[in-house]
Amino acid sequence: MFKLNLKIAWRNLWKNKVYAAINIGGLALGLTAFVLMLLYINHEESYDSWTPDLENVFQIREKHDFFTPDNKEHWQEATDSRMASLVRENIPQAVAVTKVDQDWEWSAGYSVKVDGADPILVKQIKDADSSFFSVFNYQFLHGSAEAALSTPKSIVVKESIALKLFGTDKVLGKTVKLLIWRSDPGQMFTITGVVKEPKTPQSVSFNAIIRTGEQDHDPENISNRHFCQVYAKMNGPMDSTALNKTLQSVYVNFKKAAFAKEKRNYKDIYKNGNTPGLSALKISDVHANPTLKLSWKDKLKPIVGISIFLLLVSVINFVNLATAQSVQRAKEVGVKKILGSYKGQLLTQFLLESAMQSMVSLFLCVVLVEMVLPAFNQNFNVSLSFWYNPQLFIMIVQLLTLFVLVTLLAGFYPSWILSNYNPVSVLKGNYENGLKGIALRNILVVFQFVISVTFIIAIGVMYQQTKYVSNKDLGFEKGNLVNIKSNYEEKFAERLRTVPGVKYIATSTQVMGNVFNTPEVITYKENKIPVNSVTVTMDALQALGVQVMQGRLFSKDYKQDTANSVVINASAAKLIDKNPVGKTYDLLRDDRKYTFQIVGVIKDYHNEGFDKAVMPTIYKVTHLGGMSTTNNMLVRLDAANSGEIIKKIEAEWRFLYPDYPMTYTSMNDAFDKILEDNNRFVNMIVLFSLVSVSLSLLGLFALSTFVAKRRTREIAVRKVLGASNIQIVNLLNKSFLILVVVANLISWPIAYILIKKWLDGFAYRIDMPVIPFLLATLVSIVIAVLTVSIQARKAAVTDPVNALKYE
Amino acid sequence: MIELKNIEKYYSNKGVKNYVLRHVSTTIKKGEFVSIMGPSGAGKSTLLNILGMLEEPTYGTYEFLGEDVTTLNERKRIELYRNHIGFVFQAYHLIDEMTVYENIEAPLLYKKIGGSERTSRIANLLDRFNIVAKKDLFPNQLSGGQQQLVGIARALAAQPSVILADEPTGNLQSAQAEEIMQLFQKLNQEDGITIIQVTHSEKNATYGNRILHIADGVIKDDVQLTGAKAI
Repeated sequence: MFKLNLKIAWRNLWKNKVYAAINIGGLALGLTAFVLMLLYINHEESYDSWTPDLENVFQIREKHDFFTPDNKEHWQEATDSRMASLVRENIPQAVAVTKVDQDWEWSAGYSVKVDGADPILVKQIKDADSSFFSVFNYQFLHGSAEAALSTPKSIVVKESIALKLFGTDKVLGKTVKLLIWRSDPGQMFTITGVVKEPKTPQSVSFNAIIRTGEQDHDPENISNRHFCQVYAKMNGPMDSTALNKTLQSVYVNFKKAAFAKEKRNYKDIYKNGNTPGLSALKISDVHANPTLKLSWKDKLKPIVGISIFLLLVSVINFVNLATAQSVQRAKEVGVKKILGSYKGQLLTQFLLESAMQSMVSLFLCVVLVEMVLPAFNQNFNVSLSFWYNPQLFIMIVQLLTLFVLVTLLAGFYPSWILSNYNPVSVLKGNYENGLKGIALRNILVVFQFVISVTFIIAIGVMYQQTKYVSNKDLGFEKGNLVNIKSNYEEKFAERLRTVPGVKYIATSTQVMGNVFNTPEVITYKENKIPVNSVTVTMDALQALGVQVMQGRLFSKDYKQDTANSVVINASAAKLIDKNPVGKTYDLLRDDRKYTFQIVGVIKDYHNEGFDKAVMPTIYKVTHLGGMSTTNNMLVRLDAANSGEIIKKIEAEWRFLYPDYPMTYTSMNDAFDKILEDNNRFVNMIVLFSLVSVSLSLLGLFALSTFVAKRRTREIAVRKVLGASNIQIVNLLNKSFLILVVVANLISWPIAYILIKKWLDGFAYRIDMPVIPFLLATLVSIVIAVLTVSIQARKAAVTDPVNALKYE
Repeated sequence: MIELKNIEKYYSNKGVKNYVLRHVSTTIKKGEFVSIMGPSGAGKSTLLNILGMLEEPTYGTYEFLGEDVTTLNERKRIELYRNHIGFVFQAYHLIDEMTVYENIEAPLLYKKIGGSERTSRIANLLDRFNIVAKKDLFPNQLSGGQQQLVGIARALAAQPSVILADEPTGNLQSAQAEEIMQLFQKLNQEDGITIIQVTHSEKNATYGNRILHIADGVIKDDVQLTGAKAI
């Protein structure tokens, strides 16, 4: 029986090749998007699962306002280094606690110099104390976890780095010279261990762990803080709520004691809504709950939604086509029933047929996934693989579950309809039952079109917003401006000024791609105003090419500029005074009052993504009231042959700092990087929309074919009664047009809400445009009419005699 | 073998009963070859459907092989289809996606008959109906008469005790029709299979040994034919 059913299934598929292809192909497309997402989720979920030991490892997080982009308090991975001893002393279950450098994403990395070779930059070399490998149970290929970091100036490298530096992993006892910045004289480190790359990714990832000794002690002065990440390994599974409660009370006591030593009032510090906080997070949860940025889960949410919708669209196609097709199989059902087949047997038969189709789709999908993975990896900056996936088994289980789910979802309804056919009426040639599902099918078509129209609208709005953002006046000249990753040093700057084509050399703590904000509260006319303060060099604003609105920029011609002059941006002017030039304000710091004079107002310039508003900012050259520096060295180049100039700059660099390679970014690249995430999202929406729209159209095409076929007799009768071809085409179009119009009406508010939400994520955005909505409706109607008309015309021009001959 | 008592069938439409069958009572014995005749709309097909348990009577009782089958659950009915009843249709109703061989095989598969037995039975039938050469063809590659032969072979495959035929020759030319009717008569006389057919043709009815005349849902006449046609 099974064999025979399989044969029948195959013959039926072959008979309806085109529709089978649409069905299977559509389902494969939907599945591919879903499986890609599944791969990605699996990858993200696999973080920190490489050894069961990690169950007992916790990350310590502290709540503070240091390093935060908005100058407000947040939970952070970077904690005061004193937290390590606090945990060690107060949590008896902690068997090992380690302090390790945080990730410095903007850092170029360490320059690693092996004797006689050119220096190379290696990122993610992290400074840790001696307990790092007691907490993280890495597998040592050479050396041992206990001995590796027991002496300062030792380094443990990952296998890949050993191979990269020496070409072999037998590197125990060899020495390397590390430089953290270009004028660093460098330190020698001895390799004491080589560890294997774990199977799954790690949130505390590293290329090498070094022990400089810096992480061994806390700063002596209580008011100085050294920030690092703290990880603790417990002696067994621990309830984190209880642990957090203990940590919180220990922390509050610690803070009170610390403030008492600093002679500061505990209540004063936490008066403006801030609260002290210390907590522990299981390391397996760390990757899913990053601090200060969106977690992958939040980032993925819209994509998860979209790919589920895509899968649904293709499943709907499947259901629609299968039910429409069921008329063809009605006779088979009737005959089989009177030959003695149980309903259950028929149900199984038809479910098996859909299983067969979804199986083929699944195979196709695996092929497609393999094909698009490279592009996917590049777009999402990951390295996923299907066949070489460490979780291949889980993956296969998931795929099988998906297969069963899709088969049931797609196959159950049509199978149910089919197996319920009444043999008497079916064998009399009465297909009333075939019409029964029409309401459901219409709903499904509407649903498909709602999704497609929403996508089309979204593309329209996204296109306009993207255009707006990329053409937006940034407030500074981003062309011919490069940022060398280096602290500003006068010696180097002087040499560069002699290079022809270099117009300005400057630094600022606020450069697109590397922003360091320092919060300040100034007093202007008795009002306390929170602002952001940025330290610049004399010609930094000129180098950036900002636009002056009032007053002037800094200049060497004014002696006071190095003393107490400031330039503010328009946002700050809004808060301070309409005509602020010449006015003064006060800054209280460490019980001293500093007075500054505002000499100019510049237009707001963007240094972060368009999702963030430009902060009210004060620019100063002076060291008065504190200053800061970051790894920015801005070079404004002449428009012509900038490549040549950069080569000359690199030559100057090599002359001064032979042990550390120069790295730089152009402002154009920095800007593209800021737009990258958003563009990636828009591209994906475009791709998904194309798939979704074409799936819906395929579905509509196939469905209209069947409707035209089923109404053959009606059409013939109408023609005999004198209907013209056009009237017949219109007749068929009308029934589908209503569906498309209804779908449009439904999708408008949905699209509006979703897109409003997306637009709200931008601090700088367009007003909700109307045109995409109208356009989407027009497009959907036109293509639907075209699709249906092809079929309708075919039905209209057939000879009515043929249709009326039978019965 | 078949006993109908007071069978009535009507459809209610807005409170008005439209009778299709009224007070139909008859007995059909094993080995009979009964033709049901009557004008269009007389209720012939409905009666046959009730006999085949494809429809249920509104009123009355129906005993099949001494068992009351007036209302039967699906499972039991299907058991009867598998073992006792074979259907032959005017439009043949072969499954288009199955070859001749597979069409004949289908009822045997439902009856769960073993592979070797199945092969021999099918071979036997193909041989008997002279369609061995056609066994791998699909229905649409056969003539109407050939299709009906396959239809009858399929009905016989499960070795039923009764064959219900609804205008088996209605779509056929007269030469082919005669061939089919002779086959029916042979099956009835040589294999003792009970046959009940609905027909319009007086000539076809003469192949059987009893005619039920139906008009307006009522049995008007029950004629025994003594001098059956010689084969």
